[in-house]
Amino acid sequence: MAEVLLHIEQLSKSFPMPGGRLLTAVENVSFTVETGSVCVLLGPSGSGKSTILRIIAGLETQTAGAVRLRGRPIAGPGRDRGMVFQAYTSFDWLPVGKNVEFGMKINGVPARERRERAARFVDLVGLTKFIDAYPSRLSGGMRQRVAIARTLANAPEVLLMDEPFGALDAETRWQMQELMVDIARDSGATIIMVTHDIEEAIFLADKIVFLSSHPGRLREVIVPDFKPAERIRNKERVLELPGFGQLERKIMRMMREEGERV
Amino acid sequence: MASPPGSRNAGVLRVRAPVSPRQSAISAVGIWVVFFGVWTLANRMGWVNPILVPPPDQVLKTLYTLFAEQGFASDVLISVERVLVAFAMACLVAVPLGVAMGAFPAIDVVLSPFVSAWRYLPAPSFIPILLMWFGTGEAPKLALLFLGVIFFLITLIADHTKEVRKELIETALTLGAGQRVTVLRVMLPAVLPSIVTAMRQMLAMTWTYLVIAEIVASTTGIGAMMMRARRFLHTDEILAGIIVIGALGLVFDMAFAALHRRLFPYLQESR
Repeated sequence: MAEVLLHIEQLSKSFPMPGGRLLTAVENVSFTVETGSVCVLLGPSGSGKSTILRIIAGLETQTAGAVRLRGRPIAGPGRDRGMVFQAYTSFDWLPVGKNVEFGMKINGVPARERRERAARFVDLVGLTKFIDAYPSRLSGGMRQRVAIARTLANAPEVLLMDEPFGALDAETRWQMQELMVDIARDSGATIIMVTHDIEEAIFLADKIVFLSSHPGRLREVIVPDFKPAERIRNKERVLELPGFGQLERKIMRMMREEGERV
Repeated sequence: MASPPGSRNAGVLRVRAPVSPRQSAISAVGIWVVFFGVWTLANRMGWVNPILVPPPDQVLKTLYTLFAEQGFASDVLISVERVLVAFAMACLVAVPLGVAMGAFPAIDVVLSPFVSAWRYLPAPSFIPILLMWFGTGEAPKLALLFLGVIFFLITLIADHTKEVRKELIETALTLGAGQRVTVLRVMLPAVLPSIVTAMRQMLAMTWTYLVIAEIVASTTGIGAMMMRARRFLHTDEILAGIIVIGALGLVFDMAFAALHRRLFPYLQESR
């Protein structure tokens, strides 16, 4: 197995509730994320999967435990952990190209290098024709492509995605999933994605971290090893693999059990 | 008798039914034709005292005479200057304070209780003390206009800045932005269109305070001219002054609307 990039160690998070009680969202969750792999956090609502991702991003502070990136504990948000959100985050006042340059600009990348890198990543997400367009002219799927390109162009060590395709229609969603396969294969990015879409999880993941709900605990780490080592871009070809349906049914059963437990 | 299906939705008044450009143009002109028609009719039929309500054509003639022969343009210029100077000072203070309050809760909890309290004090109640402090020059008028809008402007800008979506701020932070970059490069451009809209609304309010200031304590400006005219029962001049103030208000509002389109071309494309 490849080298470990991120250690999530006995992570817990509780929120104070009105009335002085504590709500435990995440309890004692540990897993690792390997360099260049796609790790998917999957679970029913209330399993704390977004909270875990936000702690990794440095946007929330854990109550106990630690997140280590290459052994160093993380403290606050930083450019080494870029994040793509479900809500659209394009900067409406900047054209697509300048949106993608934004992270590099504030981090002092020289103008020429910035433009070249931006052009490359705009091309990677298939928006070269729209590089000078304002985001308000783009569809939802295209805006998410801008957000992905902007984050990747900033060269983070890990790409964090919080239900990035949750607001998209079904067709756009599988196109974006196939784009993510391209990105994982071509850029070698390390990706952690939160989703509640079982099919999306199995299609994209090298490792599925399945969380149970109320409180969010680690239930099982699933490696979909029915998939071949090289990534397959074509979604129906992955759906055709004999192991797919079996794993999908297994995870659906786990989801159902979580639902019945509440 | 049963009516055909859907017949309850026929007729002129249909909820949210679109109106053709032609209908809206005719309606816009029509309401003014009716207004001036009724006014003229009231004068012709002797329903109103012509000393108190002069006919519209006389008001227009007076308006011409005021500009052509009585140097009214200098009064208008003084009024415009007062509005612009006071409003610019208010913006210079309100924009940084409002954005800071909207961005940093630590600043908001200090300034908000202060600003909110002042908002409920009617600015004209300060006129007597402003006259004592600043005498009768330009200063008390500018101070009144400034006080009249500054607290509303700060509150509006702070509220708009608080509405900048959390995801935009978190995106900036995860791209490596510090506090300064997040506020100046993301929150400020995100809120700027709303700030310009707030300015547009508050400029209209500045005109209100201008008239109050010039009526109460001035010998120059449009309001002062109107008060002079009152002494001599020149109602036509008073009405001409009202028309000029209305026209100026409209021109400034249109200028701000044009500025908004010019500054924020990206907002047009989505409409």
